[in-house]
Amino acid sequence: MRYLIRRALWTIAALLGVSVVIFLLVRLLPGTIVDILAGGEGQLSPVQQAAVRHQFGLDRPLPVQYLFWLGSMLRGDLGWSFRSGQPVAPLLISRLPITIELAVLSIVGVSLVGIPLGILASVSRSTRVKTAVQIIGLLGLSVPNFWIAILLIITASYLFHWLPALIYVPPWAGPWVNLQQMFLPVLSLALGLVAVVVRMTRSSMLEVLGQEYVTVAQAKGVPAWGVLLRHALRNALIPIVTVLGLQMGYLLGGVVITEQIFGLPGLGWTLLNGVYQRDYPVVQGTVMFFAATFVVVNLAVDLTYTSLDPRIRYE
Amino acid sequence: MSGVGAAVAPAGRTPARGRDRLSRRVGRTPPAVIGGVLVGCVVLVAIAAPVLAGYDPAAQIATPLLRPSGGFLGGTDQLGRDEMSRIIFGARVSLYVGVLAVAVALALGGTTGVLAGFYGGWIDNVTMRVMDILFSLPALVLAIAITAVLGPSLTNVMLAIGIVYAPTFARIARGPTLAVVRLPYVEAARAIGASTPAILLRHILPNVSAPLLVQTTVSLSTAILTEAALSFLGLGTQPPTPSWGLMLSDARQYMLIDPWVAVLPGVAIAVTVLGFNLLGDGLRDVLDPRIRTM
Repeated sequence: MRYLIRRALWTIAALLGVSVVIFLLVRLLPGTIVDILAGGEGQLSPVQQAAVRHQFGLDRPLPVQYLFWLGSMLRGDLGWSFRSGQPVAPLLISRLPITIELAVLSIVGVSLVGIPLGILASVSRSTRVKTAVQIIGLLGLSVPNFWIAILLIITASYLFHWLPALIYVPPWAGPWVNLQQMFLPVLSLALGLVAVVVRMTRSSMLEVLGQEYVTVAQAKGVPAWGVLLRHALRNALIPIVTVLGLQMGYLLGGVVITEQIFGLPGLGWTLLNGVYQRDYPVVQGTVMFFAATFVVVNLAVDLTYTSLDPRIRYE
Repeated sequence: MSGVGAAVAPAGRTPARGRDRLSRRVGRTPPAVIGGVLVGCVVLVAIAAPVLAGYDPAAQIATPLLRPSGGFLGGTDQLGRDEMSRIIFGARVSLYVGVLAVAVALALGGTTGVLAGFYGGWIDNVTMRVMDILFSLPALVLAIAITAVLGPSLTNVMLAIGIVYAPTFARIARGPTLAVVRLPYVEAARAIGASTPAILLRHILPNVSAPLLVQTTVSLSTAILTEAALSFLGLGTQPPTPSWGLMLSDARQYMLIDPWVAVLPGVAIAVTVLGFNLLGDGLRDVLDPRIRTM
C-alpha cells in the first residue's frame, strides 16, 4: 500500500517532468505564432507584433508562462487553439473516442490472436511450423504500418472501388458504417503488432521452458497443457506484459500515422496538424494527453509484475 | 573489459569461448544467415550506390510516373526521377540514421539501466524516473516533438530516435540486473572480495548482454522504421535527399494513378528491417544456450 502511494506520487512527478519537457520543446519550435498568423514575417509592424504576442501571453517570462499553463491545465483548461480559437480541452475530448476505439480494437485483437499463436509456436515440435511462424512473424514486424495502410488502400480501391471515407461516422451514429471505416485502419495497425506479440511470447516461453522446474513439473507427470499454462506461461507473462505495455507506445505512435492516412480526425491527426500549423496549445495538450495515457498504462504494467511474480518485491 | 573479467575468473570460461564460436554458431543458424546476407546486401548497396545507380537520384530525366521497364527498372516518380536509383541511394540514409541512433540509445540507456538495477535505492529511483519521463511519451510522438523543434534534418532525426529509444534499453538492462543482483552467486562474488566493476562486468553483464544485443538488433530495425515514418510525415529527411519514407509520402498522392511508386520503397524498408530482425532472432537463439537446446 505504501509502495502504491509512493508509486502514484512518482507518477505525478513524472507527469510534471513531462509537462516541463513538453512546454520547453514547444516553446523552442521554430517560427512563432506571430509569423503564422500574419502570413509570414514582416507583414505586421513591430507594434502590432507586440500586441499579438501580448494577447497570447507570449511576452511574459517562460517560468510564468509555464506556471500559468500548468495551473490552467490542472483546472482542465488547456488553452485556446491559436488557429481556430476553440478551447483545446473540449476539442481533444471530442477527438479522443476515435483514438481509443482504434487502440482498443487493435490491442484486443492483437492479444487474442498473438498470445495463443506465440504459445503454439513455442510448443510445436515441427521445425517447419516453427520456421514458418517465425518468418511470417518477423515479416509482419518488418513492414511499416503506413506502407501496409497504403497497400490496403490501393488493394481496396482496385478490387472494391473503396476509398477512405471523407467524413468520419461515430459508432453511435452508424455502428455498421463505423466498423467498416475502422476495419482497414485497425488491420494496418494490428498486423505488425501481432507479429511482435507472437515473437515475444514465443521467445519468452522458450526461455521459461528451458528452466529446471519445468523439467521437474514434466517429470512428476503434470500434463503438457498444465506445464505450459500453469508453470511456463505465468513466468513467461512478465516479458509479454512488458512488451504489451511497450507496444502501447508503438500503438499510440502508429495511431498518429494511421489517422493521418485514413483521414480519421483523432488525437494523432490533431497532433500532426498542430505541429504543421505550429498551434502551441493544441500540440501541448495533445502530447500531454498521450503522455498521461501512457504513464497510466506503464503504472499498470509495473503493478502487474508483483502479482505475476511474487519474487519481485518493491521495497 | 576482458582484462577485468580474466582477473576474476579462471581463463577459458564461457564468455571467451563463446566469442570464438559465435560466428560459427551463427553460421549454422539459417535465419541469422539469411538476415546477415540481407543486411550485408543493403550495406553493400549503400557503399556502392554511385556505381550501382544508373542515374543521379535527384535528376529529373524522364516522363513522370513511368511504369517499370528495361530503361527504368523501378519506373520513375512524380518528378520523372529514376525510382531505382533513389531506392539505392536511400539505403545510405537508412543505415546512417539507424546505426548512429541506436549507438546513442545503447550508450545512454544500457549504462543507465545496469547501474540503476545494480545500485537500487534512490539511484535506481531517480535515474529510472528520469527515464520514465522520456518513456512517458510514446516513441513516435516524442520523436515528432523533438524533430519538430530541432528542425527536420538527418542528424536531428538520428538524435531524436537515439533519445527516444534510450529508456527502452534502460528498462531492458535493468530487469535482468534486478533479477540477479540479489542472487547468492553475486553475494558470493562480493564475499570473496570482487570489486564492483568486476561484479558488474563479470557477473551482471553476461545476464544483460544477450537481451541488450537482441534489443540493439531489433532497435536498428525500429530506428530505420522510425526514420521512414518521420520522413513520411514530412518531419524527417527533406527533399531532394532520397529517403524511403519520403518516397512513400510522395507516393501517397499518386498511388491510385501509379501504384508502382508505392511498392518499391516499402519493399526496401521491409527487406532491410527484416534483415536486422532475422539477425537479431538468430543471435538470440545462438546466445542463449537454454533456448538452443529446445
